[in-house]
Amino acid sequence: MTIFLRAGGQLRAMLKPDIDHYTRKVEIDGEKTIGEILKDISLDPAYVALIYVDGVMKDLSFRPSDGQTITLQPPVSGG
Amino acid sequence: MSLSTSEIERYQRQLTVDGWNQERLKSARALVVGVGGLGGVSATYLAAAGVGYLRICDSDRVELSNLNRQILFTTEDIGKPKAALVAQRLSAQNPEIKIEPLSDKLTETNASELASGCDLIIDGLDNHADRLKLNKASFDLNIPFLYGAINEWLGQLSFFHPPETACLACLLPEELQDPKPTPVFGPLPGAIGSLQATLALRYLMTGEHPVSNTLLVFRADTTVFETVRFERRPGCGVCGKTVPSGH
Repeated sequence: MTIFLRAGGQLRAMLKPDIDHYTRKVEIDGEKTIGEILKDISLDPAYVALIYVDGVMKDLSFRPSDGQTITLQPPVSGG
Repeated sequence: MSLSTSEIERYQRQLTVDGWNQERLKSARALVVGVGGLGGVSATYLAAAGVGYLRICDSDRVELSNLNRQILFTTEDIGKPKAALVAQRLSAQNPEIKIEPLSDKLTETNASELASGCDLIIDGLDNHADRLKLNKASFDLNIPFLYGAINEWLGQLSFFHPPETACLACLLPEELQDPKPTPVFGPLPGAIGSLQATLALRYLMTGEHPVSNTLLVFRADTTVFETVRFERRPGCGVCGKTVPSGH
């Protein structure tokens, strides 16, 4: 199964995008949670403030399906 | 609350905007906490539009590194207190309104006192820990909280007024691991601050709040807006507790 992780801010460099400037393609075996997928790619979830898919907020327990794009939002706290 | 002849002339170009209610704005009271990049812009538009009472709170002084985005300030202002400067400039822009500048540092104990008596709390803060203090005061006092935040090319905002909506702690309950200083694309706080002013004026005139339970995300590097739906979080440490009286 293939999913796409997308990130901006300082998360972008941690994600190591390979599709475009923001997106990384990830191949996974079977169903996995976002938390498990982040662990597989060595991305510390402490740096992920929000997760959303198709305009709906999710959490680390969400299990993406084939072809989905998951947006990882870094902390956004400036003013 | 009626309008004077000079107010009618001052607000002439907005009085005929569909749905406009200048009298309601004149009687409205808003708190803006943080008047740097975000709050400096939202406060400017609220003052210009004629919100009758603005309480602006910021304990910081102007620094040279503020000036790429905090456009109310000049190089000559470096070292001066932001709240007093903003009050002075907005009073000059619109002497018809009352502006109360406060240089208090926001704390858990004074947050409710700062917000007391206001119809809306507008977030111009630069850190999440202080936002959570303001969110708690918002819930305790039953005053809506208009959240905004920026980082590099990313900006986001939402409107919180539990129990009708989720609160900030439903969405982001913990302190964030945000690098300091936060990198900021200069025009971004202007864009998000303007959107906060738009939502604030709309809410103060009509009571409507279209971004409740929705995070509006603006990606300035690709000029893309996204909306993300979320719900109240059962067990939220703020709005999941017993609802205070007045709700």
